[in-house]
Amino acid sequence: MVARAAGGDLDPAQVHARIAEYYTQKVKAFGSTPLGVDWTCQPTQEMRFVQLLKLCDFSAPFSINDLGCGYGALAAFMHRRHGACAVDYLGIDLSGEMVRRARRRYRMHGGTRFATGSASPRAADYSVASGIFNVQLDVSAADWDAFITTTLQHLAATSQRGFAVNFVAAPPDGQRVKRGLYTTPPGRWVEYCANQIGADVQLIDGYGMHEFSLLVRRRPAV
Amino acid sequence: MGMIIEPHEVFFGSFLERFNMRFGPALPAGLSVWHSGGIAEIAALQQEFEIFREGRPFLQSAALLGLTGPHGGPANDRWIEYLTRLPRMRSDIDGVNGDERIVRAIVENLKRDTPLPCYMRAYDGRTREPGLVIVAEDHPVFYLESVTFLTISLPMRPAQPRAARAARPRPQAGTRAPRRRKQAS
Repeated sequence: MVARAAGGDLDPAQVHARIAEYYTQKVKAFGSTPLGVDWTCQPTQEMRFVQLLKLCDFSAPFSINDLGCGYGALAAFMHRRHGACAVDYLGIDLSGEMVRRARRRYRMHGGTRFATGSASPRAADYSVASGIFNVQLDVSAADWDAFITTTLQHLAATSQRGFAVNFVAAPPDGQRVKRGLYTTPPGRWVEYCANQIGADVQLIDGYGMHEFSLLVRRRPAV
Repeated sequence: MGMIIEPHEVFFGSFLERFNMRFGPALPAGLSVWHSGGIAEIAALQQEFEIFREGRPFLQSAALLGLTGPHGGPANDRWIEYLTRLPRMRSDIDGVNGDERIVRAIVENLKRDTPLPCYMRAYDGRTREPGLVIVAEDHPVFYLESVTFLTISLPMRPAQPRAARAARPRPQAGTRAPRRRKQAS
């Protein structure tokens, strides 16, 4: 499990339990569909994958951890778009219901595995996490900040080449956001990944959504 | 008299609204957010995935964008049924059916450097020749009069009561176009 970071009052397990319950209810209501993981449709879901996978070098086989994998949509997307490249995929999700559905979808696919939990049980070349920092629910700002920092640290520790995440961008001043939705300007997390994790950070934006992605690459050893 | 028709079975406004929200004006670039949402999002998706393309029915692209369900029940079913009829409708361009007209207009619009937001609405089909899909650049939203939209107007007419349908003169023998038989494949 991910270690507890300073700043939060809520036990990380409680934060994870709330997230797991939220997504379990989603997938029960909408099934293994984009709505079941809180995206509007398949193209918007896959547009996020396109950005996150800019991290990966598909010219040679690699391993990848997909934290917050849901029902495994990323695995299907990679197979469809980058099927020529051998990818050792591990999807991890807090929701046991999600993982159960993912396993059922991919039971015939070698190289595609799933695990329930809040952290990856293995190191991989890359890690990606799509949308896992968005649904804050009623978790306090301090606890959510702690959740993000511990998760980023975990991603850094389990990614030999780098990791990619995305966030909902803070709207212009004065505009409201949905209750329970976490938004942030990019600078906060660009600086965190560069200074606290010590990685090279590439900001990706302007792909038509109120979002941005961070590609965080491990700095070459000097 | 009649059937038990619930309002949710006939009000289709929410489906038009869903389209108009997704294809609406984008959020202008600001200090912390770039040009995004609405038509900017659709344009980016089109560039990446070519969601709208000639030869692909509008219904299929709309479904990909989540504009055909899963909410709505019977009204949603009727809306989908309506969209399946678009290829059999005419349009304001000779020789181009209703479905092709919409798809081509959206494709061309999304190729622009700055695509127009799109607005879909229904109009009283009794006021024009039957089944005419109209696409135009205009200002359909009075409270956004400075914004030019690509406006898609869909013909709709009141359902005819069963009695009126029965009283309609039937074509005489030999005047109806022969029905095609399905070919065994």
